[in-house]
Amino acid sequence: MAALPRRIIKETQRLMQEPVPGISAIPDESNARYFHVIVTGPEDSPFEGGLFKLELFLPEDYPMSAPKVRFITKIYHPNIDRLGRICLDILKDKWSPALQIRTVLLSIQALLSAPNPDDPLANDVAELWKVNESEAIRNAKEWTRRYAMDT
Amino acid sequence: MNYVILCFKNFIHRMLSLFSFGSKSVTNDLDIFIKTNTGNTISVSLDSSWDIRNVKEIVAPKLGFQPDEVKIIFAGKELKDNITLSECDLGQRSVLHAVTSKKKAKVIPIHDTVIEEEDLGSKPLNETLQDADFYNSRDDKVPLDLSKGKVNFYVYCPTCKSLKSGKLRVRCETCRSGAFTVYEDPQNWDDVLKHKQIPGYCENDLCPSKKSGRNGEFNFAAFFFKCSEHTSLGEEDEAVPLYLIKTNLREVSCLACGDICNPVIVFPCKDGHVTCLDCFRQYCSVRLSERQFWQHPDYGYTLACPTGCPDSFIEEVHHFRLLSDAQYAQYQKFATEEFVLRSGGVLCPQPGCGMGILIDEGCKKVACVNGCGYVFCRDCLQGYHIGACSSNEENIDSASCSYNVDPSKAANARWDEASKVAIKVLTKPCPKCRTPTERDGGCMHMVCTRAGCEFHWCWICQGPWTRECMASHWFD
Repeated sequence: MAALPRRIIKETQRLMQEPVPGISAIPDESNARYFHVIVTGPEDSPFEGGLFKLELFLPEDYPMSAPKVRFITKIYHPNIDRLGRICLDILKDKWSPALQIRTVLLSIQALLSAPNPDDPLANDVAELWKVNESEAIRNAKEWTRRYAMDT
Repeated sequence: MNYVILCFKNFIHRMLSLFSFGSKSVTNDLDIFIKTNTGNTISVSLDSSWDIRNVKEIVAPKLGFQPDEVKIIFAGKELKDNITLSECDLGQRSVLHAVTSKKKAKVIPIHDTVIEEEDLGSKPLNETLQDADFYNSRDDKVPLDLSKGKVNFYVYCPTCKSLKSGKLRVRCETCRSGAFTVYEDPQNWDDVLKHKQIPGYCENDLCPSKKSGRNGEFNFAAFFFKCSEHTSLGEEDEAVPLYLIKTNLREVSCLACGDICNPVIVFPCKDGHVTCLDCFRQYCSVRLSERQFWQHPDYGYTLACPTGCPDSFIEEVHHFRLLSDAQYAQYQKFATEEFVLRSGGVLCPQPGCGMGILIDEGCKKVACVNGCGYVFCRDCLQGYHIGACSSNEENIDSASCSYNVDPSKAANARWDEASKVAIKVLTKPCPKCRTPTERDGGCMHMVCTRAGCEFHWCWICQGPWTRECMASHWFD
């Protein structure tokens, strides 16, 4: 395998030395491009109190190509589908090599605070979020309690 | 007064060298061409430690003049007597211009400042310009508080076939003679790259539109570049300026890898985003492999700043010469295909051919004349047929074809059965531009990868992507 680019080493070091509050990202022991991520549910959101596991992979062309990120913990969110895939512009066409692992995870945390049912990935969730927001939030809280607080 | 002393010193020096080192002419290490304003060229061997006065003494008798009657012009400047050749960065087989100085360029008022005639003589332009001046564009007046160094130009040299440092040269815009002196130095890239920015005086007697330099009438300078790293192959041996590549005077770190490299690419966006050359290559090669370059109406097949800044397309596409030869060949292929398609042309659908064909409007029968010889229908890209296009592939055999076709070409032009089956099984056409598209994983939401089409469609419905597709068969 090719040597790890200096940028990835530097980003990893900074993530360890100055972790982002509410986010932990630890590289896999056998693959430095694969990160085990835990994002805490933001305050005043239906995900508050939950610990959400994600996986993040830096492809060969990183940072020219976006990291691949997926929720492992089940989550009830209009922009995250049942396989954990995330609908976020900066992971697709709005990716820029000036962004980092840190900024990506912050954006994902922000997405938990501000769901966007008009650009959905999970269509049934988005539909309910639009027609009956209080019930959708109740579901999200229930899923958080059931899947993200199992410790 | 200083000048007189200098001249005197030079004279002594010259005398000394004449008497004591006259036999050292074997060290003449520079083969230089001298061009006159009457169209003659002579070849001389010079020593790079000599000064311009020495050169005049050698050259003037060969032209039938006294040394004092001759001016030496190089790279837009009249060279002063006390400058040594080594200060001028002359390469082998460079061309110096010798003109008789009877018709002197007079004092020229420009921009309310008067240039003293004495100042017209100096070192060549390349040696006097400062790198910091070329960092900013004309509208960007942010002062750059750095110790100024000699300007560095980067070029793509077609002879060396790689990125090299370059030398700025000047000639008359009209007659292309190098016997041309500028009235003011270019201050930025706009002055160098755009036409009619810097006025000057053409010394070539044969110039068809020679201006006096008086009453606001003057000629304009045309700038060009030569590679610094190979012996000049003549006056047509030019290199392309890669002006987005700059010396990293500000020590800006690359936006992608974070390292401080030198030189760097500064993108033409408002923020002037910087990447190192390696990251630029990686950026281009990723975009190329995804076929995500843009066909810009004026610049051609190009890329914008990687952070997506508006109005940041690269105008000089020779910057993509930084890619490997194989990648650059692919870049040219894609660019040509994109141009043909944008111009209403078609690409020959024969596997392995892909010849671009521009066709007259209304013409339906297309023959791949300079390529494989295949004759096909413009609309369905199948073998040519009479009547409406049929979606039934069994009906497209060219039984109705009664044209004069070269039998050997026809043999090559058969739609290979295996490819046909493979393409039929693996691909579906984009509903908008009909580009055959292979789905190699992921969901049913397709986005046409042809830059400029980017149509969102459904792999199952083969129509536009809708909410219904999302609801019923997104991940089937």
